[in-house]
Amino acid sequence: MKHYIGIAGTNSRHSTNRQLLQFIQRHYAPYATVELVEIDDLPLFYKTKDHSIPAAATALAEKIDAADGVIFATPEYDHAVPAVLSSALAWLSYHISPFAGKPVLITGASYGALGTSRAQAQLRLILESPELDARIMPSAEFMVGHSLQAFDDNGDLKDETLVRQLDGLMKDLQIFVDINTQLVHSLNAEAADWDEGTEE
Amino acid sequence: MKLVAIAGSIADDSYNRKLVTFIASKYADLADIEILSINDVPMFNQDDDQTQSAPIQYLTHKIEAADGVILATPEHNHTVAPALKNVIEWLSFNVHPFTNKPTLIVGASYFTQGSSRAQLALRQILEAPGVGALVMPSDEFLLADVRTAFDDHGNLSDERTVKFLGSVMAKFVRWVSVLASMQEKTHTEPWRQEDLDAGRPVDTTIDVPAGAEDWVEQGAAKTNAASGQDYVKLDRGLLTVDQLNWFLNTFPMEATFMDDNNQFIYYNHFLDHDDMLAPCYPSQVGNAAAMCHPQRAQDHVKQVIWMLRSGQTDRFAMPVPGNKVNAKWIMHYYQAMHDADGNYRGVNEWVLDTWPIVADYLKRTGQTLVQAPGAQADATTGASAHSKPEAPTTPDADTGASEAKAATPLVPPVASTPDASTGASETKAATPLVPPVAPSTPDADTGASES
Repeated sequence: MKHYIGIAGTNSRHSTNRQLLQFIQRHYAPYATVELVEIDDLPLFYKTKDHSIPAAATALAEKIDAADGVIFATPEYDHAVPAVLSSALAWLSYHISPFAGKPVLITGASYGALGTSRAQAQLRLILESPELDARIMPSAEFMVGHSLQAFDDNGDLKDETLVRQLDGLMKDLQIFVDINTQLVHSLNAEAADWDEGTEE
Repeated sequence: MKLVAIAGSIADDSYNRKLVTFIASKYADLADIEILSINDVPMFNQDDDQTQSAPIQYLTHKIEAADGVILATPEHNHTVAPALKNVIEWLSFNVHPFTNKPTLIVGASYFTQGSSRAQLALRQILEAPGVGALVMPSDEFLLADVRTAFDDHGNLSDERTVKFLGSVMAKFVRWVSVLASMQEKTHTEPWRQEDLDAGRPVDTTIDVPAGAEDWVEQGAAKTNAASGQDYVKLDRGLLTVDQLNWFLNTFPMEATFMDDNNQFIYYNHFLDHDDMLAPCYPSQVGNAAAMCHPQRAQDHVKQVIWMLRSGQTDRFAMPVPGNKVNAKWIMHYYQAMHDADGNYRGVNEWVLDTWPIVADYLKRTGQTLVQAPGAQADATTGASAHSKPEAPTTPDADTGASEAKAATPLVPPVASTPDASTGASETKAATPLVPPVAPSTPDADTGASES
């Protein structure tokens, strides 16, 4: 069974993005474990002179390192990802690289109709930067618009079409993780061959 | 000119802070540039509103008071530094100092990109509703390889870079001035001087508070007004006040008198409030114009009154929202009134459903209505022919009073109403009269005598 880390890009107590990840956690429990982590205990990013990072960032990095993949649910503030999320990602790429080669699925929920489309596009760019180097699942996007009305009293997504779409994405993610593992293995093997070659 | 500059970093050493420091000293002759610190701004959290905290209040006031803002952004992971995004989140939450603020983006980075991706992201963020900055278009100042860009005195060493930055700064300063003068103009458009609070009494103004419920009774006592059997000499005739009322109350339209002090002083009271096309209570007579119109409509009211007062037109006409083609066509007409010397003395507003008149005419003349294909006929009369309702906040700054007639019905159209009824400009649903193919009953030629 795959193990994922779920990151809601928010420090808000009530967040429909956290709600979305909680739904994913519960709904796909038979197929995967999703551990939800919080980013609210990380300070606003600044470059430390000794390249040190907060203990909370180290702990988070270790969890991500050990996981098969990461699922993001991002809000959208001012057409972009919230500062609290970009700040967390800055810490998680400051002389550490837990995201390098890590499979990632991006989702998001917003009160309005657009479901964080702009923030997701930006998050994709951020995660593709060399310092983060994540493996974002291609052509996968999941947007929950009107998120205040999207969940029932049990916290389940009401819209069947959305749930089916998510089912597909979660299956794809599982396959994507496997393919990525193979890719990493074969790249490592090739790199080893190449190293041997140069030594001759 | 007063500008503020923010380096998007809270690090101890920041090349972007170095860049804005250089800009502030090098271009001091162009503008007074103050560098604002964002070091103490807390992490944005919508559950914990710290808008009132000192660091955020400081930034809000400084930005509000400035003519323009310079933002220098580092690039972290292909995007804006979190510290800068964090500031913008606070300044687009419960305060909005960036709204309409001319803003210049610059940036520095360690390598070749010079913060190019961060600048693009920042532009997108600044243009989001809620932030609403006016980001200067087209010019980009990207400082690459920043670690070797400054000399020991903190000056940019490359002359061509300095020259280019100088041209960007000169352009920004010019741009700030142009925007400032535009905004100035917006606020000095002549129609804005219309006082809907009726605060400029005229020679006919009665000294009774405009909001008084018994304004008519108080005013009548004060002026010893004629009533009942008293005769009034008119142009041209002689009627008692009773006769005058019988007369005015039987015109098939609701008529209102708003005087040249924008005070509503009369309507022909023959219907109860609920039966009126433009509902009104007897106690409202005496109100200032502002009290009779919702806040959102007040700029439109001012524009129309100004149009009439300044003589751009003598009549403005518009259909109301909610009209139905070929069933109900309620029109509001605003007619300027003048004294014998041609001085503006107020607005005669009359409201009626014009459809029964058209329907009766069609019946009597044996004609029918046909939609003219692609016709742009004028559904309204008067000066509003080609007008387009404008949002009250966007009067045309360039054209001033002379184009005020291109503005606005008194009440903004309701968004959900069909095109045909939304306002003066919505003319395409107008249906010109055409004779039927077979001339059936040519009553029109022969009159009512059924020859």
